[in-house]
Amino acid sequence: MDFTLPESALAVQRGVADICSRYDLDYWQRCETDKRWPEEVWAELAKGGWLGLAVPEEYGGGGQGLLELAVATETLSASGSAGGSAFTYVLTPGFGAMTLARHGSRWQRERLLPGLATGEIETCFALTEPDAGSNALGISTSARRDGDEFVVNGQKIWITGVQRATWMLLVTRTVPASEARPRTHGMTVLLVNVPEAVASGRLSFRPIPKMGANTTPSNMVFIDDLRVPAANVVGEVDQGAAVLWDILNPERILLAASALGGAEVALRVAVRYAKEREVFGRPIGANQAIAFPLAQVKAKIELARLMLYKAAWLFDAGRPCGTEANIAKLTASQAAWEAADHAFQTHGGMAYSMEYPVARLLADARIGKVAPVTEELLLNYLATQVLGLPRSF
Amino acid sequence: MNIVVCVKQVPDTATERKLRSDDKTLDRDAADGVVNELDEYAVEEALRLKEAHGGEVTVLTMGPDKASETIRKALAMGADKAVHLVDDALHGSDALGTSYALAQTLKKIGFDLVVLGSESTDARTGVLAAMLAERLGVPQLTFANKVEVNGTSIAIQRVTDYGYDKVEAVLPAVVSVVEKINEPRYPSFKGIMAAKKKPVEKLGVADAEIDVAQVGLAGSWSEVADFAAAPPRAAGTVVKDEGDGGVKAADFLASKKFV
Repeated sequence: MDFTLPESALAVQRGVADICSRYDLDYWQRCETDKRWPEEVWAELAKGGWLGLAVPEEYGGGGQGLLELAVATETLSASGSAGGSAFTYVLTPGFGAMTLARHGSRWQRERLLPGLATGEIETCFALTEPDAGSNALGISTSARRDGDEFVVNGQKIWITGVQRATWMLLVTRTVPASEARPRTHGMTVLLVNVPEAVASGRLSFRPIPKMGANTTPSNMVFIDDLRVPAANVVGEVDQGAAVLWDILNPERILLAASALGGAEVALRVAVRYAKEREVFGRPIGANQAIAFPLAQVKAKIELARLMLYKAAWLFDAGRPCGTEANIAKLTASQAAWEAADHAFQTHGGMAYSMEYPVARLLADARIGKVAPVTEELLLNYLATQVLGLPRSF
Repeated sequence: MNIVVCVKQVPDTATERKLRSDDKTLDRDAADGVVNELDEYAVEEALRLKEAHGGEVTVLTMGPDKASETIRKALAMGADKAVHLVDDALHGSDALGTSYALAQTLKKIGFDLVVLGSESTDARTGVLAAMLAERLGVPQLTFANKVEVNGTSIAIQRVTDYGYDKVEAVLPAVVSVVEKINEPRYPSFKGIMAAKKKPVEKLGVADAEIDVAQVGLAGSWSEVADFAAAPPRAAGTVVKDEGDGGVKAADFLASKKFV
């Protein structure tokens, strides 16, 4: 057994860290405060081929897999970006490139992948609805066939990055949830050209004021008789669930990577402060009440990382990875939250000042415990699907 | 055009740097090795010259095995191949010894243009370019913030205290660059992966026909007699502004001969 990362992933670690070394915690804090996309970092990542890592080489990408994307996400996050890294890597390299590389039709791949590789085309993903979050199969956004088109109606919520996206992966029901047998049947994923849809007046969106992760807005999306060509179906009509799992598992893995990086930043910030801050004539880190929780966080980070890499490796090998992806997401998010919480405690009252990075890290870490899936649902998956315990719903 | 860029691995300036107590040379194990920052500008300039005029960029490094990381970085940025001068006999060489060893190597591998950073962030002697040019018997064009090659002639803007001088010469030549000259590129993913397959030739003192009496600690003309940690910074002077702060500040600066 060999735990060494492949050379491609080591190259990603080095290359992304090199770029990130010029952007410090203050830079990311300013992006958050100004609610501003990290354009400079995005441009550098695009130029170096770090966004297109998982795009096949024939389309101008790096020809790598989810492992390399996860390592890139973790490295960017750990450099100080924390939650912001999730959007950089999940929206376009994850939702867009990974999905189309695996499930896109020939024209979809040819039309989109080269732009996704260079970052010129950006994507977002619309699944969650006001009445369907954890119960994703219960969505009600409908797509009705009309000749060579689908006519879509519905509402989506918490759709991040619509503002920058050229294309949206829109999850619809071509068979209503109440009639679908099995429940996974009748889902259809559509590629929607966002600027065109907005221009036609058939799609509109409104940002939701939020507690953190403000480098990218998250939105309510309203769809009213939007016409989408049938050629824009990703995968097969009614068989969208197969595509969906290949979106949701990478999403969990990349968000786990982002959380893990966030945990690393919080721990680094806490350890530095615990070494420097002197109270009663010694650094506070000499007190075990400060030191032990930080040591515990370190242990949790290392454990979560093992599961993260394993899950990504399974996905790349085309093997089932649901259990591992869920465990990685659960443990990395918990590590991030505990790291941020203990960083807060270590900083004492100073943590409450926006002049320290802790408040941002705390807000970023908190969302990981509920999005894109709650901890409870992850535990429920393990309880019912892995342990075979009876369902409560 | 055959361009050779000299790069040096130096201890990361962000970490604590130490000298070894036994032979008073740099403790390379105590800090992470990174590419000397100014050499990255040299690599970038060499790559731009190659992109504009064609040819080949060769990286030349003198240093222990560990310095191969530095070579890989320069190759990842886009250099074509590398020569690594590595030999225990070179350990402890001063600027004079280093310039001799590099000059011998350059004579062996050939060059139209040698580009290097104007100084290293560790020793900071800033004399290597001049020494190299002298030993090679070619023109030196130092402290360049702009380089232009036209056929067999080369012109630079040489940064001075009062602006810049225009210096021209005929190739082959040695150029040292300052950080204002360009913005070094980051290695790309494909660049890093391709760098692993690029040729790196390792040379020892015998291969480069280096006389060991002129290199290493024993062959160095300069000697580190002693060293000590820098004293902790003394408390500053606090000037209280009682309506005359400006005058006090001016007096203070005048007393230090700043104004």
